[in-house]
Amino acid sequence: MALFITKRLLMALATVLVVAVLAFLLVHAIPGSPGAVSLGAGASQEAIDEVNQRLGWDDPLLTQFITWLGSAVQGDLGISLIDGRSVSADLASRLPVTASLAAGATILSAVLGIALGVTAAVRGGVLDQAIGGFVGLLVALPAFWVGVLFVYLFAVQSSIFPATGYVPFEVSPQDWALSLALPVITLAVGGAAFIARQTRASMLEALQQEHIRTLRATATPTWKILYVHALRYASLPIVAGIALQFIGLFGGSVIAEQLFAMPGLGQAVQTSVSTHDAPAVQGVVVIATVVVVAVNLVLELATKFLDPKLRAS
Amino acid sequence: MIPSMAPAPADQAETTTAAAAPARNAGKAAITKFSKHRLFTSPGAMAGLVWLAALVTASLTAPLWLPFKTEDQDFTAVLSGPTAAHWLGTDELGRDILSRIFAAAAGTLGTSMLTVIVGVGLGTILAILAAGAGERAEGVISRVTEVMMSLPGTVIILAVIGAVGTNIPVVMAILGILMSAGIYRVILGQAKSLQSQLYVDAAKVDGAGPLRISLRHVLPGLANTIVVQAALIFAVGMLIQAGLAFIGFGPPIPQPSWGGMIQGASQHVYDAPWMMVPTGAVLALTVLSANAIGNALGKAPNTAAPHLPPAAARRQRAKAVAAIAAAAPVHVTDDASGGDAAKGTLSVRNLSVGVDNGVRLVTDVSFDVEQGTVLGLVGESGCGKTMTALSLLGLLPSGVSVTGGQILWNGRNLAATTDKDMESVRGREIALISQEPMRALDPMFTVGYQLTATIRRLRGMGKAEAGAEALSLLEKVGIVDAARILKTYPHQISGGMAQRVAIALALSGKPKLLVADEPTTALDVTVQAEILSLLRAPVKDTGMSVVMVTHDLGVVADICDQVAVMYAGQVVENGRTAAILDSPRHPYTLALLAADPHANHADSMPERLATISGQVPQPKDWPTGCRFTARCQFAGSACLEPVPLLPSGAGDGLVRCVKADQLAVEGMDWLATDVPASRLLQVTPKQTLLTKKDMA
Repeated sequence: MALFITKRLLMALATVLVVAVLAFLLVHAIPGSPGAVSLGAGASQEAIDEVNQRLGWDDPLLTQFITWLGSAVQGDLGISLIDGRSVSADLASRLPVTASLAAGATILSAVLGIALGVTAAVRGGVLDQAIGGFVGLLVALPAFWVGVLFVYLFAVQSSIFPATGYVPFEVSPQDWALSLALPVITLAVGGAAFIARQTRASMLEALQQEHIRTLRATATPTWKILYVHALRYASLPIVAGIALQFIGLFGGSVIAEQLFAMPGLGQAVQTSVSTHDAPAVQGVVVIATVVVVAVNLVLELATKFLDPKLRAS
Repeated sequence: MIPSMAPAPADQAETTTAAAAPARNAGKAAITKFSKHRLFTSPGAMAGLVWLAALVTASLTAPLWLPFKTEDQDFTAVLSGPTAAHWLGTDELGRDILSRIFAAAAGTLGTSMLTVIVGVGLGTILAILAAGAGERAEGVISRVTEVMMSLPGTVIILAVIGAVGTNIPVVMAILGILMSAGIYRVILGQAKSLQSQLYVDAAKVDGAGPLRISLRHVLPGLANTIVVQAALIFAVGMLIQAGLAFIGFGPPIPQPSWGGMIQGASQHVYDAPWMMVPTGAVLALTVLSANAIGNALGKAPNTAAPHLPPAAARRQRAKAVAAIAAAAPVHVTDDASGGDAAKGTLSVRNLSVGVDNGVRLVTDVSFDVEQGTVLGLVGESGCGKTMTALSLLGLLPSGVSVTGGQILWNGRNLAATTDKDMESVRGREIALISQEPMRALDPMFTVGYQLTATIRRLRGMGKAEAGAEALSLLEKVGIVDAARILKTYPHQISGGMAQRVAIALALSGKPKLLVADEPTTALDVTVQAEILSLLRAPVKDTGMSVVMVTHDLGVVADICDQVAVMYAGQVVENGRTAAILDSPRHPYTLALLAADPHANHADSMPERLATISGQVPQPKDWPTGCRFTARCQFAGSACLEPVPLLPSGAGDGLVRCVKADQLAVEGMDWLATDVPASRLLQVTPKQTLLTKKDMA
């Protein structure tokens, strides 16, 4: 187990490093030098060159990367070319927004998805078909369209929830929850559908296992077969599906943040890409990767822990 | 971005085995036929195909019929709902929504196709390479794809847009690369199973190169999965592309795109909510279509039946049981008076079991098991032994049920007992041991938990008491370090040990009847005898009875008091074990004995053991006459008529053969070596048959 964890940690580290290199190269392919971007149109070539010089833009790529990596490890991701603010500080203030969004959406998807999937597998018949159709529809609906629909229903028609904006938890926990509600539900729609399918398939597979017959032959009550034994067997692929879903939802927050004007990482990617703000793009890619890889690692270890075969070895 | 960067799980997990089988030489043609069949029988997939075809046609011919140009602005009808002039309304600049939707369609579909080609192409190539190139290469490729799958794909795609701009084809191609990892994961398992097929080994021996093997033998077998993945990725690609356009990374401004149009609509959700309906509906319908096609193709044709059917199926079965109960009014019997109830006698009368679609599996089977005796149900695979055994506990698989007859347990008809009421019988009165001990135990729980929970439930004991009982039960089934075994998981113990645990589990409710379905078949020969003696002990000590399903006559000779030989869903001979083994009357019993190395004494062991040519016929091929005719060395024209089960003359035995007396009188043996052509008759229904006498 210790060896397994070490291996996974090294893999995670390597992943982040690869992405850092990739992000670095991508940023260097962004049209326009940092000087040109930060000074804007109409700046003189001398001024542009001077800024580029100061930022080390003309140094060899390797030197630049090592310099960047050196400060990144110490938590310094450079300075935004647009407003001159520290990228690290900016992202640090945005991370909680996206984290609450993605975590909320993942938890809601998991709860709804498992409930729907288990119901479909356990009840069967017409209900199974109805849930299957409903889930199929949810998978096909674009998240942003669902979001607009929710804004129309819950913010325009009946102002239960605020349509846009984010209230930090420190300011008011209640408003924080209310401001998160619509974006979280929006993201969870597709996620729940995905997990529902995964859960249904895993539950059906579990119920096909021969030990289910042994349990019935020893008069195990049906509820216990379903919700203790079959669900336990199905939990491995379900948790793996949730891990996969978190990655998707973390990315999906780009849309939710845009739609609901949430100051999160997704909004940062969107603006920094539009404004060619190289250090910001690079920073947000790396931070997003670190978060996703870390959460993934935790969930993967959880899956392994759920599996007696792997836990013992 | 949208739900996930990974393809929707749909029902794809099951495709692996579905397409692997028909992948031989002409596999491609066969698979396409197969796929077509499934595609065209699914209404959803058909509707999807029609919609996609209509969309593509309408989009490509758009300039010819569209009422408006995409940029035409009608300032008299800004933000209008559907009107005669603008069927789907207009946007904030008075542009016709219908025209813009169809003008945008071709580009959306085309670039999504690019994601499909790159993603599925790359994923397939990687999977075939990994499957064919040995473990090291597979390890490397798998690690790389794992890394790719754990990346925040959306953020990376946006960074790519930062570098290359909103060049949609390039972005969609890179999206394809990111998605290829997921596709690789889906295809790899199947490619590996195809690579390890015998005919691939044969091709390798023939000197076919790796490339040739991949293209000719592996790729065709993957065709169905590839198409399924393509359809699902197409849908995801469309959603992601629209999502990108929605956040402002779509085609340059005046050009219409679905995502961009929904973005425009979202600005007017307060004053013109209609605007988001048409575009959203078209996008959703298109995604739905692609998914429907993928799911229809990917659905495994027949997955294994669940051991616990869903509630809907259980309700249906309850109805069937009620019907049986109504049809056979409670036969609370003349022969079983109140005092007998505790004894434990089983009497199966004219039992028939069938699949819900009408196929018969067991017909008209009768036998009795007296208290403290062991009955052997003997026959080849596919004779209905296991179905008969499972029906005793009401544990027939989903879709299979008792269609007639009675299972009288102490006078109570179990065939007409509801599942709920069977719960008081299972474990406490009738218990089950199955063939594969490793699979019969729950891999997720320790042996101790499974045993203790069962004891507490069946015997109403407290936790500590049940724990002690578990320990003593394990010791009783010959496990020396019982305390340690209680703490282990099933995968940590051997097959023989697992079967001991399974027996302890079955005995934990002190049952009066034990149904053992080939309990020694999956075990080492050295362990088999010990397991049998474990079963013998409670029969002798507590008067438990056993129904032992087996194909091994050695097991029968060892433990059974009575034998019922089954063939093709019928009992063909039954009686006392000694009588049947010493003087078998039915040709099938003769053949089984002649084919069994243990039934022949070492000194009289023939040079060649006999065989029974052919196979047990499928239920749909059962003839109206004797079902063994086609394989019988003694078959004749009299065998074409239905044969009743009649007294065999040996004790109280019964036999179902018109020639039984004649065979007994003439002392005929089942020939071990080359059967003279004169004796083996090819029986086809129309052919006039000669009896043996005629030929002699």
